[in-house]
Order: sequence, then C-alpha cells, then structure tokens
Amino acid sequence: MSVDFALIGHLEDWDAAASVVSALRGRELPPIPADELRTIVPWLPPRTVCRVLVHSVAGVEARGIYIDTFIPPDRLDTRFLHENLGRVRDAAQYAVKEGAGVATLGGFTSILLEGKLDGLPEATQFTTGNTMTVALIVRGIERALSIAGRSLEESTVLIIGATGDVGSGCARHLALRTRRMLLCARNAGRLAALHNELRSAGAITTASTVVDDLADEADVVICAASLGAPTLHLESLPAHAIVCDAGYPKNVLRRSGRPVIFFGGLGRVSKGFRMWPDLEGVLNRHPYPHVAQGCLLEGMILGLERRFESFSRGRGAITPERVDEMWAMAQRHGIELAPLHNAAGCIEDEIAALKRIA
Amino acid sequence: VRLIDSQEAYMETQACCTDTVLSFQQQSVWADVFAQAVTGELIGAMNYRTLAEMCDLASEKAEASEHAEREEAHAQMFRRLGERIGTQVRSDVDAPYWSRIRAAFVRCATRGDRTGCFVIQEVMLESFAVASYGRIARIAPPAIATTFAAIAAEEHEHVEHAVALLRGIRERDTDAFDTTVKTLHAEVMTTLAEMVASEDPKGHCGLCSGTCVKEALPAVGLCTSELRGASLRQYMQTLDAIGVPGDASLQWVAQLPV
Repeated sequence: MSVDFALIGHLEDWDAAASVVSALRGRELPPIPADELRTIVPWLPPRTVCRVLVHSVAGVEARGIYIDTFIPPDRLDTRFLHENLGRVRDAAQYAVKEGAGVATLGGFTSILLEGKLDGLPEATQFTTGNTMTVALIVRGIERALSIAGRSLEESTVLIIGATGDVGSGCARHLALRTRRMLLCARNAGRLAALHNELRSAGAITTASTVVDDLADEADVVICAASLGAPTLHLESLPAHAIVCDAGYPKNVLRRSGRPVIFFGGLGRVSKGFRMWPDLEGVLNRHPYPHVAQGCLLEGMILGLERRFESFSRGRGAITPERVDEMWAMAQRHGIELAPLHNAAGCIEDEIAALKRIA
Repeated sequence: VRLIDSQEAYMETQACCTDTVLSFQQQSVWADVFAQAVTGELIGAMNYRTLAEMCDLASEKAEASEHAEREEAHAQMFRRLGERIGTQVRSDVDAPYWSRIRAAFVRCATRGDRTGCFVIQEVMLESFAVASYGRIARIAPPAIATTFAAIAAEEHEHVEHAVALLRGIRERDTDAFDTTVKTLHAEVMTTLAEMVASEDPKGHCGLCSGTCVKEALPAVGLCTSELRGASLRQYMQTLDAIGVPGDASLQWVAQLPV
C-alpha cells in the first residue's frame, strides 16, 4: 500500500474540524455538537483522513494521503509544544507505515524540520513544503501589484514573521527587487542577523520587533508569523496597502474593509486532484476547486517528479534559486497561483480599486 | 482532601482501608464505577467460557478457560474494593447495554465465527477496559488505583495477544477480516459508545444505584469525555496494530453516537 507522497497537517480552526468530522459521519447522521467535538478531537491519534490522486498536465499522476495530526486548533501555542511534537512524530511514523516516498509537514507541523530536531523516521523523506509556499507568496505579491497597477521596484514591503523559514525565504527573494524592505520579528537577535545579511547584499532595509514602528510606511505586507490564532490588527497601514496573509492559522484579525487582504501561499492544480472520501470543499475551504496550501502542493510536486527528497529542511535555508527551481517544477505539472481571494471570496476587484487610492 | 459529613463514624472505619477518606457522594460514585467494572469482567468471563466451548484444540480450550478464570478473579477484586469502601457492589449481566454486547458475542459464537468473537472480546471490550481502567488508576485513591492499574496491565496483555493472532488472520483474508470488524463495530462499539456518551440515550443502564452516575463522575476526578476519548484512542491504536487502515477506523469512529 505504498504512496508517492504524504501530506501531514492540522486543522486550522474548530469550524474546519467540525466540517471534516461531519463529512466522515455522512449525511445520514446529525453533526456532532461543537462542545462534544472539542472533547473528542484531542483524543484522536494521527492518521490518514483521505487518499489523494493528483494529475499533472505532463500526463503523469501521483498517489498520496492526507494525514491529520488532530492537534486541537486551540492548542497550537507553545504551552502544548511537547504534546504537539509527539503528535507530529506519530504522524511522521504513520507516513512511513503507509510507505510514503516523501512527506510534507504542513503548517505548525513543519516545526519538527525547521527546528532541526531529530526523531524523524528515515524510511520516508520529509520536507516542510516552505519553498513552494514562498514561491506562491512571491507570485501572489507580483500579481496583486500588477492588478493594482504598481511594481515591486517602487514598493516598500513589510514582512511580519521575517525570521521564520517562510518569512526569511520571502525576504531573501524580494530584498533586492523592492524599493525598501521592512523586517519585523519577535526575536531581536535573529532579526538583527537577517537585517545585516540583507544590507550586506545591497538591500535597503529597516528592522523592528514592533509592527507599528513599520506599518505606516508599507505598501505591501506579507504576514508569515507563527501565531496560534489571528491577532494582528494592522490598523496603521496606508489606505493603499495590500496585505498577503500567508499564516496558517491566519495572522490578521480583520474588522473592516481595510486593509485589502488576500490569502497567500495558495496554489491550484490545473488538472485537479481527487480525494476519497471526497473531502474537496471540506479540506479545501477556498472558493475555487483544487486549491491547496503551498506546503501541501510541494509534497504533490515532489511526488509527481518522483523526487523523494527533503527539498525544504531546516530554518532559513530557502534561497531564491531553490524557490525558482520549485516553481519550475510546479509549472511543469500545471500547478499555478490560485486566484487572489480571502474568506469573503475573490479579492481582485478590490485590489484593482486601489489604483484610485494610489 | 478530607471531606467530613454526617457519616463521620463510618468514614473513620473505612479510612484505614483506602488511605483516603471518601465523602458519601464519592463512595456512591465508586460503587457505580465498580458495578460497571464487575459486570464487564463477568461478561468477559462468559465470553471466554463460550470461546472455550468453541475450541477444538485442548491447549486453546485451556487458554480460553484460564482467561475466563482471570476475568472472574478481576470481578472478585473489584467486589472486594467495594467492600473496602463499605459498599455492596451490584452486578447484572442482563443489564441492557451489557446484555446487548453479550448477545452480539453469542451470535458470533453461534455461527462459529471465532474471529468475530476475538474482535468483540479482545479488541473492543479489552480496549475499553485497558483505557478506562488506566484513566481510573491515574486519579483514584491509592488502594483503588493499584487494583485498577494491575487489572489494566493484565487486560493489556490480552490485547497484545489478540493483536498478534488477529494480524495473522487479517493477512490471510484482508477484505473478509475488515468487513467483519466493520460489521461488529456498528453493533458493539455503538453500544459501548452509548455507555460512555454524555447522556444515557437508551435510558437507565440498570447498574447505577440511583440516577445515572455520569454527571457525578467529576466528584472522584473522572468524566465521561475522558473515558470515551481514551477508550476510542486505545481501540483505534489496537486496530492500527492489527493492520486495519487508519482512514477506515477513523470513519467508523466518527460515525459512533456521542
């Protein structure tokens, strides 16, 4: 029963958990009440939730599985780190048991690879999937600016969570292409190191551990912080700013129409993928079919390529060259940027309307 | 925690037996918990006696009989625990939920389905016993905890024995095995899930001395959601070890009543 790839993840919020459990129960049975669900999910051991068949425009296909760690959505913070690492390790063992060639550790679960922690089984290669996430964030920013009639070269880009694996990958990819780069992260030591690295390379950068120190100068914001729940307000952004929320869970707590936010790091498989049980519309909660997180898409791409390797591993190792290599593979299989959207739906008209403000 | 009420004189006599003073409510809750445990063990003993009758080989017959005796011994140990806290422990193998489980086992035995019998007793019932006794051992006063922990360990051996046996049976005919488990799951696990549901969906269990004990479980540090969660996790992990695909067992468990 071996598979090309395994996608290891966790549910973003309790609504998502309820949707998955309801889908597994079937239409004949009533949904499990929300309070009961919160007492059941924490006990579920990591396991395969559905099987996946992904199709490529190159005519090949790859078989995979989606394994959920069943980390409760309200236990993503550091207080539960030990327990959650145990779940990720169990999920990794599950991928090995299923004979996965490569397994991607999506969302929070990538901490195991980013932290260079040992304990991962060797029979399967593990990747964080962060390289594809960076590729999609960069393409998303390029697309948004294009719609807004602007360019990267004339934009000031703020990255929140800049020293994380995804944030630093974006910073390295964009630093020399923007007018100015603003870096924000909680860890002052790491932030200084990244700041110095990019300045040495010739970028114009400013760094701070406080978002509000930087926000009012940003034309574009990339949110890539590891937060247990949306907590960023970003109320001091200029009216013309565009925000790419690439967090999982999402970073930005949205209260009004401003700023314009699109969900970043998302791609679409143009030839589609099939899941059984059919959880399309349950695991993919986006308004377009065959959309998935970049980290999961990286697992699919490596499966389609039969490249069973730890493409993304460690923290801060994502280079522009590796991003371009991953993007080239994605294009070979027809995996492209998803239409820009957020929870309310397509956002491209709103982005286009920013032309008037600018 | 030392809780004193009007039964002080009685409690002083039993304090020396349990190392912990129990309130009247706690004593009543433990009595109901023991009643479930004793009845479950007696059902287990009956199931193993039935299995012994089905065995052709003398060695298998002896093993099943030995297991039956161990289950009876467990029931006796739980009864003695009841006596130590000053209460008579009820038991009733004809109580509604337990009798449904026994009936499912007998139906398997009647059609000569030994695999089904093993699945009911050593996967489903023992998973619940191992997990729930384990949870009780973590929170109970020492004298009670020791007994539950010891019996949980023995039941765990039964599970491990079953895993090795059933993995072999499954490898010989995977589809037939998985179909058997799925069918029995719908029948037996549904009953077990109802027993640990937050409310009694089918009325009084026939064992609690008064109203349903579930709401009073927090008085001794237990709650139904923990017992249910731990038991279902043990069950899924047992099925994993046998080789049943995790996506299948997940779907089955998701369809249980809550």
